[in-house]
Formats: sequence, C-alpha cells, structure tokens
Amino acid sequence: MNRSSVKADRTATFLCWIVAFAVTGTFFWILWDLLGHGFKGISWSFLTTQPRDAGRSGGISSVLVSTSLILGVCLGVAIPTGVGTAAFLSEWIPRKSRVGRWIRRSLDLLAAVPSIVFGLFGAVFFGEVLGFGFSILSGGLTLALMVLPILIRATEAGFRSASEELRLGGAALGLRRATILRHLLLPAASHGIVVGLVLGVGRALAETAALIFTSGYVTRMPSSLLDSGRSISVHIYDLAMNVPGGEANAYATAVVLILLLILINSLASWATQTWLGGRSLP
Amino acid sequence: MLNPGPSPRKKLTSPLPGPESAGVFSARAGTGPGGWKRLLWRGALALLIGGCLLTTACGKPADADSGPGLSGKLVLTGSSTIAPLAAEMGRRFEEVHPRVRIDVQTGGSSRGIADARSGTADIGMASRALKDGEGDLLAFPIAGDGVALIVHADNPVVSLTDEEVVAIYTGRIETWKGVGGLERPITVVHKADGRATQEVFLDYFDLQPSQVQPDVVIGDNQQGIKTVQGNPDAIAYVSIGTADFERRRGTPIKLLAAGEIAATTENVARGLFPIARPLNLVTRDQPTGLAAAFLDFARSDAVDDLIEAQLFVPIER
Repeated sequence: MNRSSVKADRTATFLCWIVAFAVTGTFFWILWDLLGHGFKGISWSFLTTQPRDAGRSGGISSVLVSTSLILGVCLGVAIPTGVGTAAFLSEWIPRKSRVGRWIRRSLDLLAAVPSIVFGLFGAVFFGEVLGFGFSILSGGLTLALMVLPILIRATEAGFRSASEELRLGGAALGLRRATILRHLLLPAASHGIVVGLVLGVGRALAETAALIFTSGYVTRMPSSLLDSGRSISVHIYDLAMNVPGGEANAYATAVVLILLLILINSLASWATQTWLGGRSLP
Repeated sequence: MLNPGPSPRKKLTSPLPGPESAGVFSARAGTGPGGWKRLLWRGALALLIGGCLLTTACGKPADADSGPGLSGKLVLTGSSTIAPLAAEMGRRFEEVHPRVRIDVQTGGSSRGIADARSGTADIGMASRALKDGEGDLLAFPIAGDGVALIVHADNPVVSLTDEEVVAIYTGRIETWKGVGGLERPITVVHKADGRATQEVFLDYFDLQPSQVQPDVVIGDNQQGIKTVQGNPDAIAYVSIGTADFERRRGTPIKLLAAGEIAATTENVARGLFPIARPLNLVTRDQPTGLAAAFLDFARSDAVDDLIEAQLFVPIER
C-alpha cells in the first residue's frame, strides 16, 4: 500500500468517527437538556396523579393511560394487517407483478402524507362517518393507518432477506405455505418487523397533529375506548405552546416520553427474540 | 419446533384465571420456550377481552339517565386559548355533577364557530366577539382578555399613543428615537394570520393586514414573549394575562400603557383598557338542560378563581 492511499484511508476513518460522534452527540445533547430541565419534575406521584390546573401542576397518569390505549389499538390493528400485507407482497405474488407495484406505490405515497392529513381524514372517517367521535378508538385507528406503510415496507424487506433455501427446504419437506411462513420466514423476518415496529411506535408516540382531532384533548382518566383521551405528545405540545407556566411539566413529560421510547425499543427487540426466535438488531 | 403449540382458540376452553396461572408457570418450567409463547398468547387474549369489557361495561354510565340530577355528555370545541380554561371549568362542574362529562377539544376559534353551527359540538369556543356573518349564533362571554404591547424591560419607552403604534407597525417610524426612545432600529413583531389576537389588534388600530410591515411573524403568546425577551429593540403584542404573569416571574419585559391607561388585568376587568376581547362560548340554539346548566356555571362566581388561574379576567356580571 502506498503512502497516499494510507492517508486517504485514515481521513475516511476519521470522518466516519466524526459523523458517528456528531449523531450520538446530538442525541445526548437533547437528552442532557431534557434531563436537566425535566428530571427533577419526575416522581412517583407525577406518574400516578392526574393533571391539575391545565397541566401546570399534578401529574400525567391519565395521559399515560390514554397513550398506552391509543398505542394498543394502533398496534393491535397495524401488526396483523401489516405483517399479512407484507407476507402477501413478498410470498404470494411475483415481485414485479402489477398488483404488487400498485400496492407498493400507494404505500410509499401514504408514508409521505403529512400527519395532519391523516388527522383530518381520521376525524372525518372514524369520528363522523363511523361515529366514534373524539375517542381513543378513532385516534388508535388513525395512527394505525399512519404506521402501516412503514411497518409493511420494513416487514416485506425482512421477508425478502430470508434466504431462498428456507423456502425451498420447506417446500421439499412438503410443508404447507402457512407453516413455512409461520415457522421459517416469520422468524427470519423478525428483525424487519422490529425495525418497522420501532419506527412506527416512534412515529405514533411523537404524533400530535393526527391525534389532536381524533383522540382529542381531554385529560380525564379514560374508562373506555370510546372516551376521548389526550396522548403524551399532545400534552407536551399544549403545555409548551398554549399554557403559560407549563414549561416545567412539559419538560418532565418529555423525559417520560424519551424513557418510554427507550423502554419500548428494548421491549420490541426482546419480544421478537423470545416470541419468534429470530435474530434481532444489536 | 414445527409444533405450533396451543392455538388461541383452545385457550378459550381452558379453566378460569385462578388455576390457569399456576398452569402457566408449570408449563414454563416444563417446556422452556413454549411457556413464553403461551404466556404471550394469554397476555394478548387478556388485553383483548379487557378492552372489550372496558368498552361495553364502562362506556355506559355517563349516558344512563336514571336518578335525580344532571347526566350526559357535552362536547366543546374551538379556541385553543379558551380550551384549558373550559377544561378546568368542566372538571369542577363534573365534581358537582358526577354523572356529567364535559369533553373539551381544541382546534381554533373558526372551528368552534363551525362546529357549533353544524351541531358537531354542543358548544363552540371563540376567543373573539362574533362577526357580522355570525348573527345566527348565540355568544355567552365567560371571561375577558386584553392585548398589550410589550417591549424589553431595558427599553426606556413606557407608553405609546395609538398613532405611534400605527406608525411603528406600518413602518413610518423606524427607530425608537421617533417615539422618545434610543437611537435604535425597531424590530416589529406581528402575529400570524388567523390568530384571534392579530384580528383584535388590527381591528382596534383599524389596520389592514397588508399595511403592516413586520420584521418577525410569530404564532402564539409564548413565542412573542421569548422574542422580546431576547431582543431589546423588539415590540410585540400579546395577551395581558400571559405578559403580566411572565413579568412577575422575572422575564425582562415591560407592558406599555395604551395612552393613559396602564395594561393591567384590573383595567381589563373594569372595561377601561381599550384593546380587549371577550372569550365566548357559542351555541346555535337557545341552550336547554345540561348545556344551559353548564353555561350558567361557566358564568357564575364559582369559576372566578379558575379564570384568574388561567391568566384571564373575570368579567363583570
């Protein structure tokens, strides 16, 4: 190896390190800022009491319950539909078929639609046409629509990455297609599902525009899926932008949101690992 | 590996939770990974059933119309300025009438007007007076709010006449020296179109949106305060309650008097401060029943402390 190529190599290594540090550094900077402002506001009672005085005092218990119910509805609908569609796209129809291309194109378009459009659609379709009104159900279903394109595309990529030998081997053993899918391909695709889920859940938890007109603004503890319930990001947005003196609790709630995201990310990779026995992301 | 394990349908026929939970642990101990699978199926099933029970069982009581007292649900939509106040009023009303639910949603004054008109909401919220084309609706003012001009605390100017404000916002006066201040350029902060505060401001000074020459365009009150706080040459207009709250917290801003009249919530309450707006609840028809009871409550002395806590001004009744 000559001298100049060694030098170029070193420069490339150096640049990669710098970029990697910048990315992690940004994350830790945000985390540091949030923790510095918000950590002192977090306590057991903050997590277990309901908001008072428009959220300036009190906690976020009802907001957390609403958020998990919305997320539950969203994932309960999105995971079966998404994995099913991905399996259909990858296993049942030829890759270059017209149907497949149309489905993929519409999914990519859906993924690019701004969330406020989903919010307005959800408010009209789920809220008014189907009569769910402002409710956790409307919000969860709207989110499911938003999350689906990401989930389907990531899961499909997971299925495609499964080696052809798995399918051939399964077929050679005379296994039914469904069995091959469940026991060979699904575990192999699990990292794709995890990626899709983590991205989808992240998008769902961070969502305000799609939720403020569907699941709504009410901070009362929900007693059914047909109740309106404020999600955590809507709460942060309202405290930061609309309620003078709400910054302290906005920061504390944001810290909870970050912790929640970290928890869900680890839970998602743990669940796929144990449930589907697949290899997950490091 | 190829044995799919117990299907969810089989689970439905298995015994009830008590003995079953013991079964989970024994299965887990006995067959290793299969136990986890079973546990997850059970968890999913429990969630599903729990969800269904919650939806069917607990969704009802609010609608049930038995026994004395008020019951039912009211939906309010509209102004994001009023929403926190209305939500607090609703919470207190629910404490008095446990079988009532007041659901407050936001979306802006225009939405409040539209939803009240279409009947989508029982009551709309609008943080401004009704306009000419809105005579088909009934307005019930619940509180007042003034709009004050604010400058940085270091700015020596303490009051501006209406003419001076117009001259600054139309770009005819470009330095603070023109209104008795320092030889520094003025940074004009204006609110975005569609904001009720902007409409109140333009209305009062009789300005057309196109006449205003802003340097900075902002969204809400907090943003206006932060802009002025960070720029000693800026001038902005925001809600008096919010500005006064921030000033008392030590934020370096100053509320300018409108001519002779100081920008205080007291002066808004007495109706002296000229740049003011009502916070209105709006209905399509003469309210009856629950809506009437809530509107009466929202305009009674029982909510004065809530109005002040949300930095607005109780109106004289």
